[in-house]
Amino acid sequence: MSYQRQRSAIPVLATLLAVLLLLAGCSNTGNNTASSSASDPAASAKSITMSWPRDIGTMNPHTYNPSQLFAQSMIYEPLVSYEKGGKLEPALAESWKISKDGKVYTFKLRQNVKFSDGSDFNAEVVKKNFDAVMKHKDTHSWLGIVSVIDKTEVVDDHTFRLTLTEPYYPVLQDLSVVRPFRFLGEAGFPDNGDTSEGVKAAVGTGPWMLADYKQDEYAVFKRNPNYWGTAPAIDQVTVKIIPDAETRVAAFEKGELDLIYGEGVISLDAFQQLRENDKYVTQLSDPVGTRSLLLNSSNPKLADVRVRMALHEGFNKQAMVQGITSGLEEPADSVLSKNYPYTNVDLKPIPYNVEQSKALLDEAGWKLPAGGTVREKDGQPLEFDMIFDKTDPIQKAMAETIQAEWGELGVKVNLTGLELTVQIKRLKANDFDLYFWYNYGAPYDPHSFINVVASSGFGISETLSAIPTKKQLDEQVRQALSSTDETKRQELYRSILTTLQEQSAIIPISYIKKTAVYQQKIAHFEFPASRDDNPFEGIQVTKP
Amino acid sequence: MIHTWRSAFRGQYAILICSIIIALFFIVALLAPWIAPHSPIKVDLLQKLKGPSMDHWLGTDHLGRDNLTRLLYGARISLGFATMIFLSSLLIGILVGSVSGYIGGWVDSILMRLCEGIMAFPNLVLVLGIVGIFGPGLMQVLLALMLVQWVYYARICRNMVVSLKERHFIAAARISGSSSWKIIRRHIIPNVQRPIIVIGTLEMGWAIMDISALSFLGLGVQPPNAEWGAMIHEGTSYIRSHPELMIYPGILILIVVITFNILGEALSERYGVTRR
Repeated sequence: MSYQRQRSAIPVLATLLAVLLLLAGCSNTGNNTASSSASDPAASAKSITMSWPRDIGTMNPHTYNPSQLFAQSMIYEPLVSYEKGGKLEPALAESWKISKDGKVYTFKLRQNVKFSDGSDFNAEVVKKNFDAVMKHKDTHSWLGIVSVIDKTEVVDDHTFRLTLTEPYYPVLQDLSVVRPFRFLGEAGFPDNGDTSEGVKAAVGTGPWMLADYKQDEYAVFKRNPNYWGTAPAIDQVTVKIIPDAETRVAAFEKGELDLIYGEGVISLDAFQQLRENDKYVTQLSDPVGTRSLLLNSSNPKLADVRVRMALHEGFNKQAMVQGITSGLEEPADSVLSKNYPYTNVDLKPIPYNVEQSKALLDEAGWKLPAGGTVREKDGQPLEFDMIFDKTDPIQKAMAETIQAEWGELGVKVNLTGLELTVQIKRLKANDFDLYFWYNYGAPYDPHSFINVVASSGFGISETLSAIPTKKQLDEQVRQALSSTDETKRQELYRSILTTLQEQSAIIPISYIKKTAVYQQKIAHFEFPASRDDNPFEGIQVTKP
Repeated sequence: MIHTWRSAFRGQYAILICSIIIALFFIVALLAPWIAPHSPIKVDLLQKLKGPSMDHWLGTDHLGRDNLTRLLYGARISLGFATMIFLSSLLIGILVGSVSGYIGGWVDSILMRLCEGIMAFPNLVLVLGIVGIFGPGLMQVLLALMLVQWVYYARICRNMVVSLKERHFIAAARISGSSSWKIIRRHIIPNVQRPIIVIGTLEMGWAIMDISALSFLGLGVQPPNAEWGAMIHEGTSYIRSHPELMIYPGILILIVVITFNILGEALSERYGVTRR
């Protein structure tokens, strides 16, 4: 009889594995101190090694995944660069003129800029890049400028003109993003000029060029000898691809890495431990995005502002964010933090107040039945489904905390952990009650945020669909995006953000920050102003 | 030396010790609501990641929930659902196996090819497929595991029935006018009990492993319910500073699964059920 599966060796193997893991863990802590000072002699003192969770991808400036933004931003440059506080500075364009009606942009290009292969940067190349991007309008339509570009013209060798179909104020912001409007050298274009099919070589004007690359293992960037600006103070950046967060930390502790940088690239637990260690330097950036909870008002139970407000007031945000993220994130009072343009408006924060929350629910008709724990109205229980990304431990912990706290108000929440892709699909299909959502960050916000408030298909407009002034809100967004008057635009932003705060359909939870952990040999580390840019500008290495 | 160690784990002793351990786990699981010191889902962030104390014997997790309480409630889900999977797949297995073996012919062929088809796939792949279709959740996992496990019972049962069918007492029962259903119920099922118990014991251990594995992957138990596999997963974020969060549930899974395995081995020896 051979009916039994051959599985009985597995427990033994499992035990062995557990023992091995334990041993590995012990030996790791043992030789920490010995190996941390040992560095690769081949690498010069002026190079740094950092890790990244994913392969850097095909270095094509006009396409998206799997290319990694930070790497694209090392090689390719924009016309206009986005600096701290939303200030726009000249980059490849030295200056620009905007016509009165806001429809014609004339860029004076920087002279004597060369690509890494020595070829000239001029208006012809700019037009070629723009046209290659505009050939695939659909791919890029998420970026507002793409749908309003009418014409691209070469005026003279170093003047480029962009004509729009209608005024759209964030043109320069949109041109500063990492992709798709950055510039590939002539030699990089494929024969038919269609970059969506791939590029021949990663030729850019940026401070770095790709010197060596092995897929899923490493990428080495060397200084671009033809760079027009201030050359970086370091010669080389090596990027090691390490997918697992714990392995990254172990490599860092061994001295194999000089820098771990990014969002969520290191567990809170590990970050905390490294922060307490004097041998390393840890830094937190300003808020780069907001973690919010969407209360979908297209669900009839959430259509009542009193219910939404009660839910907002009904959990201790301060304690939750502090308790779960140990200070790595900051409790958020408004959907957009104040470090974007136009968002520095005073909004009334919504405080934690359980009593008022219960009173609001009573007032809205949701009463606790005698002996029951879940509020009811017309025989319907006050019950919602919350979906979260099952791979994100912070989201999961927050979901459980909110569930427990709302449970005490008499609101039942059912949690389901989903794959990120499934989750996004449900957001776009408007198939959710409660959803953790993140805004886009600089340089995309605030205009990308208000854009999704008004346009459907991204989940936000749907979430807001039942608020009484939705039509008005959409109109305000349209006006704000096409306005040419600075004060009027600020006023519109104030009005939009105030409405959103009062309606409480998007509950701001916390401001997310980037983390950086580095060895002491790195000096002058600074987080980039744009969320997707690389952090190597100005970075220096001191001799150990 | 090795011989005595081995013999201690076989035979009468092993059966007794393992049965006691398993019985203890079941009693604790059943009584969890009464003996647990705290609520398994009450979040108290001020008390998070505390070490052992008088109030929290095994400390608290990342949301300040009592570890001991969550382990006790976790036993309810792991053992309870493993038992349900065991019973339901046993029922289907015996039914299909007996019918298939007793009737024979094309019915037998179809049912057995179906079994072989299911057995040809690695279990976990099938289970992941089913959970993928119906979405994550404990009931879906239960259904999926039930749907893949019954085939093992069905195969054994069918093989036993085929050989029993030729025995004289079955022929005698048939001659004396018993219906097929009565023969299956009164004469055949009692005779296939022993191997079924052996296989069932071994399968129980695997069912617990599978439930935990799926919960670890986030497909089984949904928060805030406590389950051992899910607890290990929650602990992974704190592996550096609080490895005990993973170790507690890990040890429990290890003990339960190994106990079921040793018991199964001992029983198979005792009943003379050769395994391959």
